[in-house]
Amino acid sequence: MTGEQDKEFQQYKALDLKIAKALQIDVPELDMPELPDIDTAKVASLPARKRSMKSIWFAVAATVVLATSIGIRNSGMFESYETLAEEVLAHLDHEPGAFRNVDIAVSDERLARAIPASLATYDRGASLITYAQACVINGKDVPHLVIQGQHGPITILLMPHEKVAEEIPLDGENIKGVILPYGKGSIAIIGDREELLEPIQENVVNSVTWTT
Amino acid sequence: MNSSSAEGKRRQRFDSLVTVFHQDMYRFAAWLSRDKAIAEDVVQEALLRAWKSLDSLRDDGAAKHWLLTIVRRENARYFERRRLETVDIDNLTASQAALLAETPNGELDDLREAIFGLDDDYREPLVLQVLMGYSTSEIAEMMGLKQGAVLTRLHRARHKLKENVAEA
Repeated sequence: MTGEQDKEFQQYKALDLKIAKALQIDVPELDMPELPDIDTAKVASLPARKRSMKSIWFAVAATVVLATSIGIRNSGMFESYETLAEEVLAHLDHEPGAFRNVDIAVSDERLARAIPASLATYDRGASLITYAQACVINGKDVPHLVIQGQHGPITILLMPHEKVAEEIPLDGENIKGVILPYGKGSIAIIGDREELLEPIQENVVNSVTWTT
Repeated sequence: MNSSSAEGKRRQRFDSLVTVFHQDMYRFAAWLSRDKAIAEDVVQEALLRAWKSLDSLRDDGAAKHWLLTIVRRENARYFERRRLETVDIDNLTASQAALLAETPNGELDDLREAIFGLDDDYREPLVLQVLMGYSTSEIAEMMGLKQGAVLTRLHRARHKLKENVAEA
């Protein structure tokens, strides 16, 4: 990229950030209309989601180190978890496809879809992002990314609306991780036990800016 | 599963989705209609329609796209019914002005007004890309356009905003 192109790109990014902020007008309280009765007997049930018995996360969830209980949490999808840490791990359990060794980077468009400018900006830098998905945890939008580390995939969950008071360590048989307090929210970073996560944590934190 | 339990779960599912995506629904409706009162009406209608057809949504991961598509259709229906004219930026109704006056911010007010003044054809893809995070191919699919047309509209929208901001 030439200096001129780089300047133009930076101007483009700055304008988009301003546009994103301008578009974030106040939203009135949800005023739910009166919903008519639906005859559920005539509605076919969706099949229940099956949890994999072989999941690598299954054993992990039981050994999560929990600093404080933060009450019954609702995942938004019928399952309840007592802590953010449990919910984070259960979420990974629901998306095993994300946890693969691949070397194909997701496109900028895909990344932008996973991380709407109304939530955060993420400077992908030189990291190889192989998975990007807009997810919901505890009823809130959470961009879910996977980057490739030295010892396999590393999961990153950007949680702009989940404030934590202090670091919450995640510790399992095969994995380790942390939920880091970050501004008004938090960031979960989880990788292989052998992975050196500290430099990755630093990189991730330097790459993220909340815009919400 | 008995009927009341099924109804309860259905309602719980709906509430969960709406809680997450209500803000997106309102903001999308507001920037499409450029009118606070119309946006509120459109969201109400969209919620009712979504409630009635909730069982057609097989994957909750696709809920945002599903709900925004409903908002888009409801907005089109609203304007079809009312045959409303294009907004004259120099002659706003109270409800239109109320939307622009939301969250006053010296730095952003001019830009917000410039976005408000964009043609629908330019404003909608811009909102879908910047605020909702859609790719140009997804916007093309949603708006029934070719991807090249979306790219052109986005380029022109940004160009116009850039000019407006420079003039301000």
